[in-house]
Amino acid sequence: MEQAALKVQSLAKSFNGRRVLDDVDFEVKRGELVAFLGANGSGKSTTLKCVAGLTEPDAGRIELDGAQLSQLGGRQLQLARSKAAMVFQKIHLVPRRTALDNVCAGALARVSSLASVSPLFFSRELREEAMGCLERVGMADRALDRVGRLSGGQQQRVAVARALCQRASVLLADEPVSALDPNAAEHVMELLAELAHNENLAVAAVLHQPDLALRHADRAIGLMHGRITFDGPVASLNQSVLDTLYSPERNAA
Amino acid sequence: MSLQTPPRPMDTALESASVRTPAPAKLPVPADPHRGRKAMLWGTATAVIVMLHLLAVAGTDFDPTLLVDGWQGMARFISDAFPPNLDWEEVIKPGLEATLVTLWIGLLGTTLSIPSALLLAVLASRTTSPHPVAYQVSRAILSFFRAVPDIVFALIFVTAVGLGPFAGVLALICHNTGVMGKLWAESMEETDQGPQEALSTAGASRLQQIAHGSLPLVIPQFVGLLLYRFDVNVRSSLVLGLVGAGGIGLLINQAIKSFQFDTMLTHIIIVLILIIVVDQASGFVRRKLAV
Repeated sequence: MEQAALKVQSLAKSFNGRRVLDDVDFEVKRGELVAFLGANGSGKSTTLKCVAGLTEPDAGRIELDGAQLSQLGGRQLQLARSKAAMVFQKIHLVPRRTALDNVCAGALARVSSLASVSPLFFSRELREEAMGCLERVGMADRALDRVGRLSGGQQQRVAVARALCQRASVLLADEPVSALDPNAAEHVMELLAELAHNENLAVAAVLHQPDLALRHADRAIGLMHGRITFDGPVASLNQSVLDTLYSPERNAA
Repeated sequence: MSLQTPPRPMDTALESASVRTPAPAKLPVPADPHRGRKAMLWGTATAVIVMLHLLAVAGTDFDPTLLVDGWQGMARFISDAFPPNLDWEEVIKPGLEATLVTLWIGLLGTTLSIPSALLLAVLASRTTSPHPVAYQVSRAILSFFRAVPDIVFALIFVTAVGLGPFAGVLALICHNTGVMGKLWAESMEETDQGPQEALSTAGASRLQQIAHGSLPLVIPQFVGLLLYRFDVNVRSSLVLGLVGAGGIGLLINQAIKSFQFDTMLTHIIIVLILIIVVDQASGFVRRKLAV
């Protein structure tokens, strides 16, 4: 399928007069894993946050699954946004709750308010769907363990399961493996690539290690000072491109 | 072979200054340009604090010589109280029963304030409040309940429900709502925003974010603070007894008024035991929660 699940046009954002994003255009298609590369402060995370609704962009159009976000408001916007699920560097699960309850929480947007007061009221249907998501990330056997008892890599996989339970078509991952050891990082990246290739999700991952992008991503987008300076298959991501991306001071001069 | 090795010439060489790490170079400390102002600030602050305390001494008729001169009065009072009256039917049994009432007042006053405290805490915490107006209003309500002492609430409720423990329970509910709501709101503001943020990107409503992102994170702190408040409220309910809200406080008051100081002492000992037991029990549970 060659359908762009996420389309971003002329996205701009400033913080206190400092330009963080400047005319950012890109697309992420279903079935591909796109890695966002760039030095600290290049605007990678801000881009994802704008799509997820954690930051309000100053200008630009964001199209998610065919819906123009800027034309929607209120509940409609919330539902349209839930088509993009986010995975965080700091994982952001509730450590005291079980993996299963955390995964169920990903589906809150389609659970009635009354039934969502406590995990006790989650329906059997939802629980079974959540079990399926846990199975998908290889964590079904730990479903009833408290998340706080799991390792970092296991927790991140539960967080991915929560994103799956959201039934999103776009998966945004903000430095999903920066807090993990190399082995766990490799597993999580493999999982994200599988989800893109086998489940036909559009995956956008901010990465700090170019070698992970080279091994797992299909395409890379390089950002520098809030502008896209590279957009192409990872195969064309050579050393000179990386050198330029990661030495912004020298290039800014 | 001897275990003791004779001192080698090397050891003495190590002692010599030439081998030691040289001391880092010295540099003059730059003069602090604000030194004069700082000194003046400290001086003024000290003078103001001393002045306030002198005013307080004058305002409270604070005079240690009075205490020294009047020690016999105190000695007579205490000697009247000894030995404590340990009559079971007359003193200990009614004392224990009244203590139980005191404990019940503290328990209900704490538990029944949970719903109101929780609602106000969610509204008065910057991270969960739905609107700045709701935030300010709930803060104001909490401040009011906190500022009015439970004794005043008790006196007000006595006019409605008459003397007795029920007025004490109502008074504690009001005051405890103010204090616990504030403490809960603060612990909610200090907690990690991550899970709440994650659920907001999943399209969860504000209420859902609170129920599944914020509250489960703060449950241990909430329970800890609840136990602490129970501890404090049992002690408050003693004082409420003095103004007619029943319990052991009432008995202590009656004993003093009828000059039965030995009875009073027995009641105070019972209270002491109650306080220690409640304090230890809530401390024990809080320690268990912390791990």
